[in-house]
Amino acid sequence: MLPSLAPHPFPDLPAPLEEAWAPAPRDVAATFAFALSRRPVDDARPVLVAATAAWLNEHGRPYGPGLGDVRLLLTRVRREVDALWAMEQALRSGAVALTVGAIHGAALPQTRRLEFAARQGGATALLLPRDLDGLSAAARRWRITAESGAADPDDPRAPGATRLCAELVRARNGRPGRWTLEQDDETHRLRLADRLADRGQAPIAGTGAPSGLAA
Amino acid sequence: MLHALNPAARALGLSRGQGQADARAMVPHLLAQPADPAADARALTSLAEWAERWSPSVSLDLSPDGLEGLFLDVTGAAHLFGGETALLEGMRARLAEAGAPCRLALAPTPGAAWALARYGEGQTPIATEETLRGLLADLPVEALRVDDRTLNAARRFGLRRVGDLHVMPRAGLARRFREVDGVGLVRRLDQALGFVAEALTPLRPAPKYRAWEAWAEPLGDVAGVEARLPGLADRLAAALERDGRGATALTLTGFRTDGGTTRLSVRMGRPGRDVKIWLRLFREAGPGRLDLGFGLDALMLTADAAEPLAARQAVMAGEAEARQGEDLADLVDRLSARLGEDGVLTPAPVDSWIPERAERLVPALGRRPQTASADFGRRPVLLFDPPEPVEAIAELPDHAPARFTWRRVTRRVIRADGPERLSPEWWRPRSDGRRDRTRDYYRVEDEAGARYWMFREGQYGPDWTGPGDPRPAPSWWMHGVLP
Repeated sequence: MLPSLAPHPFPDLPAPLEEAWAPAPRDVAATFAFALSRRPVDDARPVLVAATAAWLNEHGRPYGPGLGDVRLLLTRVRREVDALWAMEQALRSGAVALTVGAIHGAALPQTRRLEFAARQGGATALLLPRDLDGLSAAARRWRITAESGAADPDDPRAPGATRLCAELVRARNGRPGRWTLEQDDETHRLRLADRLADRGQAPIAGTGAPSGLAA
Repeated sequence: MLHALNPAARALGLSRGQGQADARAMVPHLLAQPADPAADARALTSLAEWAERWSPSVSLDLSPDGLEGLFLDVTGAAHLFGGETALLEGMRARLAEAGAPCRLALAPTPGAAWALARYGEGQTPIATEETLRGLLADLPVEALRVDDRTLNAARRFGLRRVGDLHVMPRAGLARRFREVDGVGLVRRLDQALGFVAEALTPLRPAPKYRAWEAWAEPLGDVAGVEARLPGLADRLAAALERDGRGATALTLTGFRTDGGTTRLSVRMGRPGRDVKIWLRLFREAGPGRLDLGFGLDALMLTADAAEPLAARQAVMAGEAEARQGEDLADLVDRLSARLGEDGVLTPAPVDSWIPERAERLVPALGRRPQTASADFGRRPVLLFDPPEPVEAIAELPDHAPARFTWRRVTRRVIRADGPERLSPEWWRPRSDGRRDRTRDYYRVEDEAGARYWMFREGQYGPDWTGPGDPRPAPSWWMHGVLP
């Protein structure tokens, strides 16, 4: 069956567990911003970022002034097991809106536990694995790439609004697709890029299934 | 000089303070080890911690010349151990088991106890208010903890026993033995007799709330400790409840049969006395970290810090918000117990324009996460702290980079925004003594669409970098990435 070419809406509402994959190191910042944006707008609970010290050294530490209105909690641990444990505890407690885990090695049972904990606490869990090869209970698996933004309208030499490409590679209840998201400078939130903007966002409607789809 | 002697050496007639050459002349086969006062002090401290099983207030007595000892304030505690005689017997037995020979005395004043323990051989080691004067009278003047000069002076006057002082007119004594430096003879006498109070500084402030349990049979495994913990916690919670207080820090101390202690502490962001939460925190902190040695024969749970409960709860308005705040505090407590306080962090704003200073990560325990201030311009989501060196080429010295090499990959810059100039905060000295230089920050985008936040440190042209020539050339640094 060919995937429909008709545009379908971007899944705004986060699933209990999603995965976001940065195919290259340069996409990590975009992936991290995307992960943080999977938090309901009106949810004022804090966000827990669980990462190993190695990951934080490699990719940098979350920096409040760049995150907008996020109330941040950060666990810096040595082993990924501890990061997973922290995520699960936070999700289950219902005290956080979102946990972002920079964790690669989560096995299927562990992702199931995370999903269950997220449902229990009414929260969202985002994993940032190094690839999407492993089995996972995640309802959505995203591939996030940084995209060259338009130039700043006031200064053609300066970078314009932050822009990234979110490709839904695998969705349990829904269709894969690809969307271009733009960051609102005021709120630091991601929103669908205006299709009428300068480059005419043709790929806003799913442009055919990405390879390797299990739809 | 001989610092300490074992019984065999004492039997040979050697004495403390004797010169080593002299001692070797007397006993050619003498075995001597260099004294290690620091190790002695450590051993005494660990013994003092162990001695907290008998009293919450244990002080070190660091008298010179290896006459170290411990003061235990057992006021009102003796009956817990079956009376004063039984208390001393129990102490002696336990210390002997732990391989520490001891001399014990119990007296109404620290001074008298000190004297009786060291010079009261052959006398009853327990002094009461009534017998105190009589018991002290037979002891030598040394027993009053006076310095050598005072001692020599007293001997010259023929004052050998404490009893000799009892009959002397006080005014004359006080005039003769002035307090030059240190504590004088008369004051020592008054302290020993209880006319003047003597303040002791306990090793640790005595916790007001503690629960305690001891057994005849030592406890060898962690499961046993876990089984006893709820009972202790219940009693501690009850004690706190009586005063309307909650604990913010708990310590579980295990007393080992070999004379050591082992402890495990948990902290909480807000005061509480919910036993279930305490037990969960201890589980997360890992009772497996307790070093049981050959077994524990007593456990003590203390509230190291307690605060009134009611005052804290009124702070938060709104039912839902209060509950959420409590959930969050519980979560942070639990994460901190297991991952360590340094493992659970939250950003704290600092009044500074230097980016890595403007937000510090601090332990989240007892804090509420805040949103960052929005006064800044565009800032990276992920910050490299410290910044990483970059090799950059700019078309003109003062311009944004045209290409740069970072982490061994060369990138071409398509768009750049800047500079945003941050002047050094010259009023804050740096720890490494270097002077901060002006930073010019640029937001750059490479051909792959990735955005970076980098800066040039130092300026071409005149720039105040402090004394010293030649002035270092400006350098480029990678400070963060933007989405």
